[in-house]
Amino acid sequence: MDAQLEILLQIQDLKGQRRGLEEGRSERQVEEEAFNLRVDEALTGLDEKIDQVMEELDPGVRRRYDRLAGGIDRAVVPVINGVCYGCFVSVATSVASDPAERAKLRNCDHCGRFLYFLD
Amino acid sequence: MILRDFFDIEAVKLDLEGETKDEVLKELIGLLGLDDKSEGILFKMLKRRENLGSTGIGNGIAIPHCRSLVVNRLRLAFGRKPDGVDFKAIDDRPVRDFFLIVAPPLEVSNQYLPVLGKIAQFAKEPDVPEQLGQLETPEDFLALLEAKSI
Ligand SMILES: [Zn+2]
Repeated sequence: MDAQLEILLQIQDLKGQRRGLEEGRSERQVEEEAFNLRVDEALTGLDEKIDQVMEELDPGVRRRYDRLAGGIDRAVVPVINGVCYGCFVSVATSVASDPAERAKLRNCDHCGRFLYFLD
Repeated sequence: MILRDFFDIEAVKLDLEGETKDEVLKELIGLLGLDDKSEGILFKMLKRRENLGSTGIGNGIAIPHCRSLVVNRLRLAFGRKPDGVDFKAIDDRPVRDFFLIVAPPLEVSNQYLPVLGKIAQFAKEPDVPEQLGQLETPEDFLALLEAKSI
């Protein structure tokens, strides 16, 4: 897997966790009640971590990511069974079936989102 | 929805070898059978969740959990470390029983939170630590979940 793609996945995971805590009422409740998590402090901690990991992106990837993330909710999406889960358009078979191609950093030809491949 | 249905027998290990929090987390992740890169990303994410506050909820039980893009469906694992490890648990006691829960960020079936809640509830039942301690095989673990009908 491309190193920049790994960083993008981390950023997206952190943002997903942040979104769950902030917007998901039941997620906040479970974290507070079952795990005694101080959610507001956790959100601040996640913001700091997101900023820190963003610094690891190459400037070109960062620009592309910022541009995408500014306009859509998910800038990094999985490809499952050859289909981009951002726009639900098929990815070229020559890419989807080649392990070397799958490991590269690439964007969906149709919606532009960063892609990672899941079996 | 019953918990038993979410566990694969290969994802149950009653003799964890890890001696530290990090080692145990890695070993639990290993039970899910992901590729190396995905394991690395998941480890970082679980560590970050632990850094926000330990998922050791007391009574020797921890429930490390997070959402991550590296899984395409809800994945669970159970591990037991007979001597326990320091997990910075709420009650400062060593943790012996570990439930790992990982779900994708956008999960169509929406099972992550109900499962997390159920396991947290299960873990707080007074007789559960003793019953987990008596397990001899992974099948016993699944049978316990069934017997509890949660
Ligand atoms: Zn697309």
